[in-house]
Amino acid sequence: MESEEIKIGVYVCHCGINIGSTVDVEQVRDSVSELPNVSISRDFKYMCSDPGQALIRKDIEERGLNRVVVAACSPRMHEPTFRKTIQQAGLNPYCVEIANIREQCSWVHEDKADATDKAVKLVCSAVAKASLLEPLEEKEVEIAPRALVIGAGIAGIQASLDIADAGFQVYLVEREPSIGGHMAQLDKTFPTLDCSACIMTPKMVEVERHPNIELLTYSKVIEVGGYIGNFNVKVKKKPRYINMDRCTGCGLCAEACRLKGRITSEFDVGMGKRSASYIPFPYAVPSKYTIDAEHCLFLTKGKCGKSPACKDACTADAVEFEQKEEIVELDIGTIVVATGFDLFDATEKPEYGYGLYDNVLSGLEFERLVSSSGPTQGKIAIGGKDPKDVVFVQCVGSRDKSVGNEYCSRVCCMYTAKQAYLIHEKLPDARLTIFYIDIRAFGKGFEEFYDRVREEGVRYIRGNVSEIIKKGDRLLVMAEDTLLGEPIDVEADLVVLATGIVPRADVRELMNLLKISQSPDGFLLEAHPKLRPVDTASDGIYIAGCCQGPKDIPDTVAQAKGAASSAMTKMSQGKVKVEAIIASVDPFICRGCGRCVEACEYGAPELQEAEPGILVSEVNDSLCKGCGACAVACPCRAISMKHFKNEQIFSQIEAVI
Amino acid sequence: MNKGFEPNIVGFACNWCSYAGADLAGTSRIKYPPNIKIIRVMCTGRVTPAFILKSFQNGADGVLVAGCHPGDCHYIAGNLKCEKIMDVVKRLVGILGIGKERLRLEWVSASEGGRFADVVTEFTEQVRELGPLSGKSQG
Amino acid sequence: MFRKSHFNIRKFIYDAFDKDMAKVVFEKVGIWDCTTCSACLNKCPKGVDTVGFVTGLRQLMVEDGRIPPPIRDALKSVSIHKNPWKIGAEERSKWAEGLEIKNISEGADILYFVGCTPAYDARLQKVARAIVGIMNKAGVDFGILGNEEGCCGSEIRRMGDPWTFEYLAKENIETFKKYNIRKVVTTSPHCFNTFKNEYEGADFEVQHYTELIAGLIEEGRLAFSREINKTVTYHDPCFLGKQNKIFDPPRKILASIPGVKLVEMDRARERSLCCEGGGGRMWIESEDSEDRLAKIRVGEAMCVQAQILATACPFCLLTLEDVVKTEELEESIEVLDIAELVIKAL
Repeated sequence: MESEEIKIGVYVCHCGINIGSTVDVEQVRDSVSELPNVSISRDFKYMCSDPGQALIRKDIEERGLNRVVVAACSPRMHEPTFRKTIQQAGLNPYCVEIANIREQCSWVHEDKADATDKAVKLVCSAVAKASLLEPLEEKEVEIAPRALVIGAGIAGIQASLDIADAGFQVYLVEREPSIGGHMAQLDKTFPTLDCSACIMTPKMVEVERHPNIELLTYSKVIEVGGYIGNFNVKVKKKPRYINMDRCTGCGLCAEACRLKGRITSEFDVGMGKRSASYIPFPYAVPSKYTIDAEHCLFLTKGKCGKSPACKDACTADAVEFEQKEEIVELDIGTIVVATGFDLFDATEKPEYGYGLYDNVLSGLEFERLVSSSGPTQGKIAIGGKDPKDVVFVQCVGSRDKSVGNEYCSRVCCMYTAKQAYLIHEKLPDARLTIFYIDIRAFGKGFEEFYDRVREEGVRYIRGNVSEIIKKGDRLLVMAEDTLLGEPIDVEADLVVLATGIVPRADVRELMNLLKISQSPDGFLLEAHPKLRPVDTASDGIYIAGCCQGPKDIPDTVAQAKGAASSAMTKMSQGKVKVEAIIASVDPFICRGCGRCVEACEYGAPELQEAEPGILVSEVNDSLCKGCGACAVACPCRAISMKHFKNEQIFSQIEAVI
Repeated sequence: MNKGFEPNIVGFACNWCSYAGADLAGTSRIKYPPNIKIIRVMCTGRVTPAFILKSFQNGADGVLVAGCHPGDCHYIAGNLKCEKIMDVVKRLVGILGIGKERLRLEWVSASEGGRFADVVTEFTEQVRELGPLSGKSQG
Repeated sequence: MFRKSHFNIRKFIYDAFDKDMAKVVFEKVGIWDCTTCSACLNKCPKGVDTVGFVTGLRQLMVEDGRIPPPIRDALKSVSIHKNPWKIGAEERSKWAEGLEIKNISEGADILYFVGCTPAYDARLQKVARAIVGIMNKAGVDFGILGNEEGCCGSEIRRMGDPWTFEYLAKENIETFKKYNIRKVVTTSPHCFNTFKNEYEGADFEVQHYTELIAGLIEEGRLAFSREINKTVTYHDPCFLGKQNKIFDPPRKILASIPGVKLVEMDRARERSLCCEGGGGRMWIESEDSEDRLAKIRVGEAMCVQAQILATACPFCLLTLEDVVKTEELEESIEVLDIAELVIKAL
């Protein structure tokens, strides 16, 4: 290899007119043809097309090229493509270098001469590096046929079922006592008005019964190490203080609890009350009780009457106050993140009086109020009376720069239409008014549903509500009808705010745990906005549902199936190539100082005793991620970072200036 | 034709955030001056002082190192390691008479195409005002 | 009635898109109605600078010399007398006669920036004297600029004269520098706001007097000796509350006065209703025939059975008290500045 003569082929892509219109491709081709080691330089309309790739392969075979430079789009786009191309022609896949003359040149510059000059330099830099490229060996590791799904709302449930049905083991982690997420809190779903519980319960039960799914409720992922195929995950199981095997779900403990009806129910978003020993909702899965350690008298004060009432009441002897938290360790192949969303906190918009007036509700609170499983069994009563006038306010916390959320939450227009419809069904005499900015009824059957709601007599007024104030025991909603350009005041007994979707408050914690990023709106970032919508920048970690951005149930389910399929694809391959771009130590130069050990976040380099008393660093290939920090830390340059060696980068610097 | 001084700027961008951010500037067709030429590294933690000094030695008028925002590093803390090293290199280039202002460390995320263009435009302008490092203009 | 209804900023903006700007300005009525309170600005989901737009339109009118006479006179007065009240600069410190207040040239920890209205208006002079009294009781080391004090320019800027504002700002900054002033306490939320947010190159600390007094109470430097057995409600001035999020210090002061029963109006804090005294409106009447907002506001205070409507802004005090007088409500409700309540209870 060392003595082999370097023969480089340079291929400059026009990318249709994407590159060609700003960069003089022929000039680039000619300017680099005389560079050392370059044996052929060509241009082509689309290098990534089949004929483009065939051209490279033909040259490799006929001209004996052993290095290839492609000047085209970003290596983040087609480096894998061209690696495969040259591999098919018998070269080591790491013998290709990409010059990014599209994203970082033709698309960002206007002057053709300047752009061409820059393109030439970028290609020169790639040629310089290509001359020094070395073939690298790709090792393979096995992928554990086990998936971790974080979050058990509809996205996590769907992803788990798909993966489990394909025959892989799934660990489904949910931090609440029951699976179900936000969808379980909804009454009916738009635009078809299916009962949310009716379509969700069978799936929840299936999750519980599935032989390939292990449910870890009331649990939290606290540590994720390793890499695709071999993640080492730690899950913290909070004590439920109830023996899951013994509990029959009868509810005697909750009946007996001394705090019965005194604790705010999270599931009913404050609209209902519960005991310290509780089941979040009647069709919860698992259908087992949990004792809430934050409120339980025995757990907080060490004393609950003479003896804890729940313990006395339980006929199955399931109450176990001695339970401790448990750490479960899992070896995982792929991870699906489905952590959902938080609801926008409407107190951030003080003009609406949310939190100030009892009859101003958030969208989710209204869902609980109108739900037959809710605290009022679905009866909509305000101060004991049927509301006569109900006003809905759209875009609360969405499309609103004043609270830092520029995006549309995508579900509020339709859920408001649905909620108006539900009131109309129950209280046909109620006058219903919806204030909106724009109506976004973009999905299948949405516009039809919106029309239907209007035909039922719901009044839509275009205008953002400016203020809601008290008028006697009613509310006065003030706005401008922007279609008429006139102010309008509407009195109301009940105001429902179409509160939007926001990223989870603890999204940062999750990002740090998994080493994934977020987009400017705060939701998790996909690997490509169009073509890799369920992948993240970390191999083997996929995202689904509202953690990636606001979406409705059908879109969430579709994305969950996509994430499941991506995870399954990797697991069915059984093996994955590990990073070939890793650090290596020259044991003759290494003096065993250990700086590399300190620099590495992954514990890849370790000091070994090469001879008695002589320490030498050695890098564990499967732990190394290829960041290069150790190479920088090494005081005697014993460590080189494959594919990004000092000499390689020096040569690029020389060529690029 | 004398266009005035156009600085040579070498950029080192990490693969995961800033290189992707630069790509996004392209995908979004946000324009910036062509003076910068980017060399891709996997992580800013890979940028040794030698890369910077070599760049200046070979005629760069400015060097931009761009990595992930603190907390976002794909390799946990490579960007913070880089920040520490850059502090030292900045002092060094100060002592060498190159001038601290010619070396810039910036955090640009994968979603900040606009920010990447702004940073490059602003830095190019700054280096242009500083004038040529080697005294020779590339007019 | 719960609000004014005829002023529509969106109509101005829409018209400005495709019409000759001058026509928009000169043909429309209502441009002087805006009080620059920022209620719309704070709520706008698209971040439109509505207040900037209004002051921009007014600037066009000032440039063209087509401004209502009262506005013209106020602007002129500032240029001549350094105050918009058309009274000579040499009379600025008359309010302080007999109080033996240190001039800042003698050096002090704090500059008490009195402001034009408290310096010249007989009603507001009481407030200025109350603030001085409170600071003296607490042993605060402060001084005043005397006749050297000049208008802060806040209202001038909002009346469409950014040039005079810039001149005043520069001059004030220089004066503060001359006496090495590190901390300024103001009577008016308007002076406070402009010092804090609009003075470029300012390097002094600014406090509204309610922040200072709340701090003094917290430190135990003010001891109340008398009770005020009244129901009090507090009206948030827009330039203190909405625009600078100072909601709690005034309430803390009121709550700490013995005997005071503090009640809240429905529209409190961010939701407060403007009194219509800002944005140059002290010098020009609205073209709108609807009820004054101050009248609505006094009504709201009476709704919560308040005997005292307390506020912390010279303009709010004048507009609200004016309503109480013209509507002959003196028997039911009294409008007072927080400082006046504090000094009564000390």
